[in-house]
Amino acid sequence: MSRTLLISGPPGCGKTAWILSQLQRHDGACGYLRLAGFADEGLQQARDGGIDLSFLQDQCPGLLDLGDPDQSLAPHPDSLLALIELPQFHSPHQAGLAGMDRRIIPELDALHLQPDRHLHFGRDPELPPQDTLDFSVLNTWSRTLTSSVWDPASLSSFWFELVNGAYGDVYRAKAVMNLPDGRAFFCNWMVSQSGSQFLPLQSVAPPQGRPDRLSRLVVQGRNLDPAGIEATIEDCLLSDAVLELQQAPLRQRQQQPSRST
Amino acid sequence: MAHAVISCLHANLAALEAVLDDIDRLGITSITCLGDLVGYGPQPNEVVELVRARSIPTCQGCWDEDIIEGLNSCECSYPSQLAERRGQLAHHWTAAALSDDNKAFLASLPLSLRRDNLLFVHGSPNSQHEYLLPDMDAFAALERVETAGADTLFCGHTHRPYVRDLCNGTIQVRVQGSGRTAIHPEERQMELPVRRIVNAGSVGEPRHGNTNATYVIHHEDSGRTDIREVPYDVERTCRAIEAAGLPPVFAWRLRHGFEYAERADDASHVCER
Repeated sequence: MSRTLLISGPPGCGKTAWILSQLQRHDGACGYLRLAGFADEGLQQARDGGIDLSFLQDQCPGLLDLGDPDQSLAPHPDSLLALIELPQFHSPHQAGLAGMDRRIIPELDALHLQPDRHLHFGRDPELPPQDTLDFSVLNTWSRTLTSSVWDPASLSSFWFELVNGAYGDVYRAKAVMNLPDGRAFFCNWMVSQSGSQFLPLQSVAPPQGRPDRLSRLVVQGRNLDPAGIEATIEDCLLSDAVLELQQAPLRQRQQQPSRST
Repeated sequence: MAHAVISCLHANLAALEAVLDDIDRLGITSITCLGDLVGYGPQPNEVVELVRARSIPTCQGCWDEDIIEGLNSCECSYPSQLAERRGQLAHHWTAAALSDDNKAFLASLPLSLRRDNLLFVHGSPNSQHEYLLPDMDAFAALERVETAGADTLFCGHTHRPYVRDLCNGTIQVRVQGSGRTAIHPEERQMELPVRRIVNAGSVGEPRHGNTNATYVIHHEDSGRTDIREVPYDVERTCRAIEAAGLPPVFAWRLRHGFEYAERADDASHVCER
């Protein structure tokens, strides 16, 4: 029997991490939809741009993109677990499905999705209780970085500066970033947690030019300095010439037959 | 007699003034500077002119050399592309801001200063660009001091102050030649006296965990060395960074006790250009 769960909560509360754990525990087919959410007074929603879907599809091969009508409207097996993620700043006034934000219904109807349950971080004890911050002001900034490749040491410095306040009070930052050796990392940081999470994606591109996978940075916080962030990013990204300089030896090494001992 | 050693001023006037005030307050009249008067900071002329006005004997640091010789001398030492870009930006800004007279002063500085058995250098006796880190291999560290013919080597460059005694040093050599020693190689062993490396830290760009300027006082009679930390008006320098048009992130890094650019991963790296 298929199940459709709506999972909502404020930025950085662990929605995607919890969803990943459910997807990995489920034996049958899985689908995922991330809704954009709605801005509130002084609170902007992050323009995720597909980071969460990209990360989850990397971790769970075969995951259906339920935002794609071709996939959501196609017939599904009975065992389908459909998880819908909704960024939502404030806790619903009512319990269960009655507390669902009615504004999402038209979009769900168009995709033939009807939640059986609604769980909200900070309200429902079934979800981890930590990290549900109450924001009063939240600005957002994002940048698409697809086909951009980072100098790894520069990425480390930039991320350190970003999450420690060099470009404003950052509460939340997440990204998928490409490295010259073909790997990509899901970078995740939340003000209430200690340290950043850097998870390597399972898919590795060949060290041949610029990968075409989704790459993006999303930042949420207060008094953000977009010009400063942009300027530093520009100093961190590799030019074609430098990228080739770094990738050529990697290709050579891959082409050499391994020496038997 | 007490002797103050300062290093790595990095165009930070507020920090230099605070350190000189501290030295004056202690009644110390002998000061040696280990270079890097300029670089990253917003007041290169003011700092050079204060050092000149106080007639402080100074040896040349890597930044002092780069401003005169051009960037080719050490950009390969940067640990990241970001650090290199920021270093280049700071270099061009400093080169444009520094007066010709002050550039000529930096060009005239010696690579080392010697007083009896004390040697003063910026990085190491080999190069202004070489880092002598506190955890450097003991034999390599001893070699730097021994071949320079000094008992105590004063250096900077790492921005982290430390005193390291190199005790019980021995060098063992096996000589195998022709004739008798071809069959029975000759073993020679030399016992080395205690040698000391003193790193003066940094006045203008700390890398020791907080924002305080650091320098050292060497008591020549007793051989004791004190590392001193001096608080200074960091905000004054941060305001000057922003007013000068340098990247605001420089001010943020200074304000939080982070160096402008991390040191190279390979501490023993010496530019070969």
